[in-house]
Amino acid sequence: MKRRMQVLTLAFAGLALAQEGQELTSLKGVVLKGKAPVSNEILRVKLPKAAEGKLKNGLTVLVMEDHRTPLVFMDVVIPASSLSDPADLPGLADATADMIRLGTKTRTARQIAEQLAGIGASLSAQAGFGSRTTHVRMSMLAENLEPSLALAADVLLNPSFPQDELDNWKSRQLTALQQMRTQPSFLADQEMMKILYAGDARSVIASTPAAVRKLTRENLADFYQGRYTPAGAVLGVSGDVTLKQLLPALEKYLGGWKGPGVETPKLPVREPIGKRSVTLIHRPNSVQTYLLVANRAIDRLSPDYYSCTVLNRVLGQGPASRLFRNIREEKGYTYGIRSSFSATRYRNHFEAATSVRTEVTGPALEELLKEFFEIAAKPVPPEELNGAKRALVANFALGLESSSSLLGQVLMQREYGFPADYWDRYPENIMKITAEDVARAGSAYVPRENAQIVAVGDAGKIRDVLKKFGEVREISEE
Amino acid sequence: MRPLLLLLTLAGSALAAPPAAIPPVRFTDTKLENGLRVLIAEDRHAPIFGIAVSYAVGSKDERAGRTGFAHLFEHMMFKGSQNVGAGEHFFLIYNNGGSMNGTTNTDRTLYFEVLPKNQLDLALFLEADRMRSLEVTKENLENQRQAVKEERRLRMDNQPYGRSNERITELAYDNFAYKHSVIGSMEDLDAASVEDVHDFFRTYYAPNNAVLALVGDLDTKTTLEKVKKFFGDIPRQEAPQKVDLSEKPQEAERRERIEDRLARLSRIDMVYRISPGNHADTSALQLGAAILSSGDSSRLYQKLVREKQVAAQVFGFVDERMGPGLYRLIAIVRPGKTVEEVESHISEEIARMHAEPVTENELERARSMIRRSAAGSRASSLGRAIRLADDAVLYNDPGRLNRLYAERMAVTAPQIQAAVKTHWKQANRTVIVTVPAAAATKSGAKSGGKQ
Repeated sequence: MKRRMQVLTLAFAGLALAQEGQELTSLKGVVLKGKAPVSNEILRVKLPKAAEGKLKNGLTVLVMEDHRTPLVFMDVVIPASSLSDPADLPGLADATADMIRLGTKTRTARQIAEQLAGIGASLSAQAGFGSRTTHVRMSMLAENLEPSLALAADVLLNPSFPQDELDNWKSRQLTALQQMRTQPSFLADQEMMKILYAGDARSVIASTPAAVRKLTRENLADFYQGRYTPAGAVLGVSGDVTLKQLLPALEKYLGGWKGPGVETPKLPVREPIGKRSVTLIHRPNSVQTYLLVANRAIDRLSPDYYSCTVLNRVLGQGPASRLFRNIREEKGYTYGIRSSFSATRYRNHFEAATSVRTEVTGPALEELLKEFFEIAAKPVPPEELNGAKRALVANFALGLESSSSLLGQVLMQREYGFPADYWDRYPENIMKITAEDVARAGSAYVPRENAQIVAVGDAGKIRDVLKKFGEVREISEE
Repeated sequence: MRPLLLLLTLAGSALAAPPAAIPPVRFTDTKLENGLRVLIAEDRHAPIFGIAVSYAVGSKDERAGRTGFAHLFEHMMFKGSQNVGAGEHFFLIYNNGGSMNGTTNTDRTLYFEVLPKNQLDLALFLEADRMRSLEVTKENLENQRQAVKEERRLRMDNQPYGRSNERITELAYDNFAYKHSVIGSMEDLDAASVEDVHDFFRTYYAPNNAVLALVGDLDTKTTLEKVKKFFGDIPRQEAPQKVDLSEKPQEAERRERIEDRLARLSRIDMVYRISPGNHADTSALQLGAAILSSGDSSRLYQKLVREKQVAAQVFGFVDERMGPGLYRLIAIVRPGKTVEEVESHISEEIARMHAEPVTENELERARSMIRRSAAGSRASSLGRAIRLADDAVLYNDPGRLNRLYAERMAVTAPQIQAAVKTHWKQANRTVIVTVPAAAATKSGAKSGGKQ
């Protein structure tokens, strides 16, 4: 069965960019000759709906069919959050996710690895720091659906957390923590999260050697017992399978899964920090400075979400954005630069990041802040605004190709309790945004005088330059 | 009995469905009068298309003193042509809902976009205009030179093991074509001139040195007509000289030690020179590499990370090229363990691959992986466009992806063993041991800073 996609071609009134036959225009870092043939229509797409069912234990099952290739992808979303890690055991949720596939009541870690490979399946479990949920994901061959589900269910329902596996995992984890610290972006992120979310669980983005050392089997088993539960979990599937095929198999393997409901962590969205701070992390022998500039902004449920999405497209998302055009294409300070709103249920900040050669640390930071001031102070010209909105809406067509990304959209809609037609209405909500909306969002959420700045590089070479941006707090990477 | 059935019994499950065929990619193959090869595959699943233009030029074609130039040139292809302003290419692609990029390797330079289906003319116009009439200014070259130097710093100079990654190919190859890195040296990047850009464009950026592939929601006949309209009048150029990629046989193991000021843990990089991408041995080695070094069911992972616990990480892969490729192995040494321990366990496992054929179970696992990755790699239109174009440029065989899947699924244990014996020999090996520099300079630290 081939899914029919309904495709409507709509021209948004007033959107047509005067691209054809237009005079040569110059935006920073780009010259528009306006001779290329552009279709002014935007393909407006209707997203396919997922089929929905329920197991007897209450577990919701969603299926997004795609029968082009014999592959099936599964994402079990479990309410096991790193945000409820005890303060002295950061990384407990993360460790539990890693360990579930390293031994069950009837299979050793080696058997699990070999049997997965034998049926062409891969299985991962991940509890992102700052997220409400843990994801257990499996990619499998359609012809091996049953044995794949059987294995996934065993890992999900019967992990045994063997002591020897835990010891080995700890030793690997300690080296992984060391390796992370060689990356400037990790050092900057870790510090920035402490600044933005001081005093709560969101400030943690990695475990610590001390926590890894003291972790026990009992810690893992307790966390697992209380949090790996079908109450509040969702099981999403995409690919070469139907709900009808899937339900009996899931009932067979996951029907016995029981567990208590889990309380959702509660953490407030806080106002942006009022005063600027500059933090320098010395990373010996660096030839570049990694710059991270951020402040608290909006969460995913904010009414300003659409304004911020359009704003960010103008400012720092992709090569057509101002930061890229100015700081890379015009100045040549960097290979890449981006900004983003990290807007989830718990994360609520805006950030921009780039790596620049040590010598231009000052000018690059200056240009970046100049763009921040400009987008808050001046309305975005119609050409740029329409380009950004058009980019966001027309881009929807691209997502139709991947059933797993369509499934991801459905899972997201449910995670935030959005209405069923959320994605169908998304384009019009984007198109409604005006230059005034963007300016308002810019002035409220893009950090300027109150920018939180973290720089990672060779302190001896950039310390004095950074002083121009505020009082510098210096810390060592160790 | 096949191990698959054994597993089903273990899982206590009913019989699995018979494996569905992976549908072959069907396409048309047309050569325009000016030599441009055009490959088109229809796929109406989503209202989009992917376009790939692959030019038969890579870092292998660079001359001494101009390393990194093919890649620097790729950046210039976004800086404007007769009818397209500097940066207008990506401005138009992104603002019409698409995405795009360019990428350069040793063998070819690739440009690609994916767009909603109503922007076909836009994509063809942009690709044709820069193939016909690249415009180069000193200012634009200077700007992209800086961006590329930042790319080098980002990927190599500011990264732990960056130098090791670059050095391993310098040491393993003798022929200049593959010996130098794609990103090139800072010195050579500084030396590139506007004249170099003009010469390179004239020599390599001609329709007869390129392949255009389009895959997606499009009609083959009208698309081909449009391609002719946009590209048909771009003049053919004299075919560039083919570079000799052959290597003299390596006679002894090569070895170097690098002190790395950004690394925290020791690492071993090991490469074996192997056959060109299109050689049957390469297919056999792909399976051998999967069994020895891919994923946590692999021999090396089981032995070094789990059983002996001497490595924190170990993995390997085949670096397939048009000319002689490499089998690459990388292992991170666990604190408290030695480089020698790790290396001796790797050598033992390589010796075992020589001494006895892989088991039927292992072969089945490798085949399953190949099947899943073959099915996965066909999912996106752009992915298929890139495969078609690249296989045409590298091997003159756009349908290679269909053939290769069957070829790899049919590889036998004796074939793997024979290929291992031929290529994974000690005399054919290059080893780099990277150790953290003894004491990283503390010049920047607060107390001692004197700049």
